[in-house]
Amino acid sequence: MRVQLRPVGALVAAALGATGLAAAGPARAQQVVTLDTSQTVFYEAPTKTHMMVYTPSADAQASPWSWLDVRGGWEADVVSGASVATKAGAAYGATHGADVVSTASVHDFRNVGHGEVELKGATTSLTGGYSYGTENDYRSQSLHVSARTDAYQHNTQFELAYARNFDQVCDRVQDTALANQPTLWTALENSTGCFSSDPTRTRHDLGVDTYEASWAQSWTPVVQTQLTYTAQLLDGFQSDPYRSVIIGEGVKAQEHVPGERAREALTARLAYYLRAIKGAVRLSLRAYHDTWAIDSGTAELEVEKSVGESVRLMLRGRLYRQTGAIFWSDDYASGAPPLGPKGQYFTGDRELSPFWSYLGGLRGVWTVIPSARRLVGLFTGFKLVASASMQGFSYDEYTLAGVPIQNAWAYVATVSAEVGF
Amino acid sequence: MHNVTAALALLSLAGCATVAPERRAILADPVMQFDADGRHEATLQHAIENREGSMGGTGVQGGGCGCN
Repeated sequence: MRVQLRPVGALVAAALGATGLAAAGPARAQQVVTLDTSQTVFYEAPTKTHMMVYTPSADAQASPWSWLDVRGGWEADVVSGASVATKAGAAYGATHGADVVSTASVHDFRNVGHGEVELKGATTSLTGGYSYGTENDYRSQSLHVSARTDAYQHNTQFELAYARNFDQVCDRVQDTALANQPTLWTALENSTGCFSSDPTRTRHDLGVDTYEASWAQSWTPVVQTQLTYTAQLLDGFQSDPYRSVIIGEGVKAQEHVPGERAREALTARLAYYLRAIKGAVRLSLRAYHDTWAIDSGTAELEVEKSVGESVRLMLRGRLYRQTGAIFWSDDYASGAPPLGPKGQYFTGDRELSPFWSYLGGLRGVWTVIPSARRLVGLFTGFKLVASASMQGFSYDEYTLAGVPIQNAWAYVATVSAEVGF
Repeated sequence: MHNVTAALALLSLAGCATVAPERRAILADPVMQFDADGRHEATLQHAIENREGSMGGTGVQGGGCGCN
């Protein structure tokens, strides 16, 4: 279990007065309300596990006055599948067999509601919002604020943003005699009784502070860039309470990771318009570092082309590389380096191991903005977006008792629709 | 200190690089926007970040875990 930032590119775009519909047409009827819904399906089935996630969402925005936007929405994750419950590595698996790795069924239902208010001036805007999320084993409350200003005839934009999460994670109550002996802790068996008065359940706090500063700049009529720095401080329970790790001969314990983590990332983006194809190339480079010693680099290239007045098509490629956390080992129980104990912490999280990932995808956008009359006498605009991506993973060291991960492909497909009134 | 100086120097260049409003038509095209379809892209970013150890560069709003 770990905290997850929620990207808000669309909300930032809305903060610019540039939702998809608003940005698409210069001559449009007065748009007061925008409704948006999307449906996403995620699927992956690597060795021994599989996961299906269906994510519906619905959002609304009202702009009663030119200086005010009010937004609200709901999103859910319907999760079903199987995940690793007990992790062991290659050396231990060689002597005990691959069956020491067990999996467990996962069924969860995450609901998130959010609201946001934005005050807009000629060149500045202030935004504040709140979200509340629930899962069977997780609670999240988040406050966020941001301020934005334009300069140099709107060629330069600066934005500062801050978010604070007050999260809680369900866990089982450990024997008080073992309070300082995490190597003897037992993993949470299921979410039954979580966030109730059940005496076998407890909850751990997790506080997350996220800071972001962004500078966007138009350099020429066909070139613009964006530079974003993000820092994040996490303080609290960050393990997966369900996951056990084999840490000795016949000894398994609940995953145990540090309670503090500081993360930072610098992202540079460039958009360049190619007149020959009536489209743009967008390049994004990100460097990341955290105090768990994970370093990563991300390169992403998108090519998007307009087809006629109302259609855009995009191709995307992405390459990602990360090192492993300093305490990560494929097998804490035995073996020569890089296997073996790594200090007081132990995890079976493959996302903390060293690996490559690579992603390819495409997206189509169809926007209809009538210049005069409303669509079917009702809508000021309509936008339909469909996308599909597949992402592969190549793990350097992560195994399931020596069995390498095969078929590590994830598939994501999303369809969304937006109408303005 | 050198980093701060370099950053300030870079920022000062911004004022020299203004594009006149009448020449901004292409810059306003959705294909030139980094987040023109950001709401649609949010779920893909959510899925990606759940399976990687990194974050950043896409916004700061929270909203739960959803990371089984």
